[in-house]
Amino acid sequence: MTPILTVEGLTKIYPAFRLGPVSFRVEAGSIMGFIGRNGAGKTTTLKSILNLVHPEGGAIRYFGMDLAGNERAVKQRVGFAGGAVDYYPRKKIARIIDVTRRFYDNWDEAAYRKFMDAFSLDPQKTPRELSEGMKVKLNLVIALSHRAELLILDEPTSGLDPVSREELLDIFTALKDRGVAILFSTHITSDLDKCADHITYIKQGKLLASGKMDAFLADQRARGAGNNLEEIMLHYEKEDFREKLAD
Amino acid sequence: MKNLLIKEMRLSAHVLSYLFLAFSLMALIPRYPILVGAFFVCFGLFQTFQNGRETNDVLYSALLPIDKKDAVTARFIFLCVIQGAAFLLMAGLTALRMVFLAGAAPYADNPMMNANPVFLAWVLVVFALFNVLFAGLFYQTAYNFGKPFVAFIIASLLAVGLAETLHHLPGLAFLNTSERLPLQFALLALAAAFYWLATVLACRKARRRFAMLDL
Repeated sequence: MTPILTVEGLTKIYPAFRLGPVSFRVEAGSIMGFIGRNGAGKTTTLKSILNLVHPEGGAIRYFGMDLAGNERAVKQRVGFAGGAVDYYPRKKIARIIDVTRRFYDNWDEAAYRKFMDAFSLDPQKTPRELSEGMKVKLNLVIALSHRAELLILDEPTSGLDPVSREELLDIFTALKDRGVAILFSTHITSDLDKCADHITYIKQGKLLASGKMDAFLADQRARGAGNNLEEIMLHYEKEDFREKLAD
Repeated sequence: MKNLLIKEMRLSAHVLSYLFLAFSLMALIPRYPILVGAFFVCFGLFQTFQNGRETNDVLYSALLPIDKKDAVTARFIFLCVIQGAAFLLMAGLTALRMVFLAGAAPYADNPMMNANPVFLAWVLVVFALFNVLFAGLFYQTAYNFGKPFVAFIIASLLAVGLAETLHHLPGLAFLNTSERLPLQFALLALAAAFYWLATVLACRKARRRFAMLDL
């Protein structure tokens, strides 16, 4: 089956940071956890695959199509939610939605109403009146109402209380069961323990591993790196910190 | 493009961009540098850029299923709509001054710029300066608007100063009267061509710059 998203050899060079090469693929009906420390290059990777920044090299394909030249068609089928980003904080949600829906060929008004109701979102409120968790849910409503087949989520659970995080993870799992693919960047590894079935780990811009969660955990256990994502991250990142202190 | 223009008007635009159209009424003020009204209309448009930065408008637009560059074109069309509305309002007031109020005391003895076709030509020059120097340069970063706005302020104030000076020079007094109207309308047509060309070129360059930006 054609992967929903394929990233091959993605590189992006900034004066003080180099990302890549990064390669991974996201399949339909799966949750790919994208982990790494703050500053490891997670957001740069996500921005690259959304064409918000321009990579120096690599290929990005959605649904078997190159992103370059097919951006409109691709974005009809992809939704993005960043944890900290909110748009037009003083405009009513109803107005934001009324404008946004015009851009999507597959906008499903019934689905929009259903998700607004399910997430207890009031369209007469403004984004600034919403909690951080509700803002993420609003972005999810927009993505789901245009029947996005891939959700790209940049640290959607950062800053959320445990109950809100648990709620969101339940939503992600339910979406996965409906065939939606989710690429979920976070440094809160416990969230991924609960819902991710694939993992991509980058460290200081370099790809450390990418594949099925079970295989990744088994491999890391065998190497003595740890039994879960948090232990594995601590193993690699603390090791590096100790090396720096020793220098 | 229609949907992007709706987005510009309903989400991106700051209310002052609409309210500052009222500064077009400055065309009626006697003994005042009335061209400043065009500057204030542009200042209202500046608020939309500022508002856009505060409300993540650029990122929102870039994530929509559109050609990213079309977001820039929509912004330029929005500028032209507001500037066009201001121009029409000022043109109406200019006609009012020239046809019905030409003999009114405050206007008959007016040492400053009078409302006439040359005034309208200068209005278009100020608008073109905004589109080139502010909007055009803004899309170098889609974030920083300090330097572009300072560049526009300096250029537009120089334009106002020049407009207020020229008609005091020998042989150019007609610029501030209702005389030699065919020549005045020719100057207005020239300014309209300049406005159109400058805006189209600024938009094209801004589109190219925006496409290359890392957001």
